[in-house]
Amino acid sequence: MTPPTALPEGAENISTGGFNRFAGPFYRLADEGEVRRFAFVVLDKHMNAAGSVHGGVLMTFADIAMSRATRLATGAQSVSTVAFSCDFMAAGHLGELIEIRVRIARRTRKFVFLAAEIASGGRSLMQASGVWRMG
Amino acid sequence: MSPPDASQPLDGYAEIRLVDPFEIHVGPALAKGEKAARAYALRARDEHCNMRGIVHGGMLMTLADMMLGQALWDATDSAACVTMNMQVQFLKSARAGDVIEVAPRIVRRTRSLVFMAGDFTVGGQTVMTVQSVWKLLGQE
Repeated sequence: MTPPTALPEGAENISTGGFNRFAGPFYRLADEGEVRRFAFVVLDKHMNAAGSVHGGVLMTFADIAMSRATRLATGAQSVSTVAFSCDFMAAGHLGELIEIRVRIARRTRKFVFLAAEIASGGRSLMQASGVWRMG
Repeated sequence: MSPPDASQPLDGYAEIRLVDPFEIHVGPALAKGEKAARAYALRARDEHCNMRGIVHGGMLMTLADMMLGQALWDATDSAACVTMNMQVQFLKSARAGDVIEVAPRIVRRTRSLVFMAGDFTVGGQTVMTVQSVWKLLGQE
């Protein structure tokens, strides 16, 4: 399958300031039921010297998407990442559209546990999980 | 306490050459010490922070990938390698102007895998701890 290279219609730019904008742009896509979806198109600045998307970009994308999913689910104004774990399964390439699907595994009064998969054109690039704190 | 003057050089540190476009984008990065026991540093800037003025988790994890990778290059004469896994705990916030330092450790090395760890500190206090597995390419 050829990886998609264009954002779907209705994609919302969420990289409005700070490191999010410096590293982005990242976009929110339409939800699929309980799954929150985000995407970005790989630019030159996102690359490493070996011709793959830099690991820091994928972790940043995951952190931003999972933080946003936590805020959407809880209504919290600000959230912070407590712990984050990820496995790099395959490389992303220049020009590809990379998508993340985020699910909430459990929510307590103060914490949210999330899991996510990053893929491009049906090819899994990363799995991630983590704990976010509200407030 | 006023933030450190970003124009002042840091004791013993010198800028290192970065080759990855994304690392050049977030850099510059600094290093000091001998190759086997080098410490790395980066002075956080506004563009590394979120809207609350706190260094973004994604930036800290980018730093983790950068600096553990640099330390692995030191240990392997710049062997081709990729990050397989990374586990991160965020203990404390870092802010613009803070100098974030790490002396990465190689915990175990096999023929094809390197197990690494690093405590990232600001002023001696840990802001993030990292454990990470790396694969040496071409070593099955």
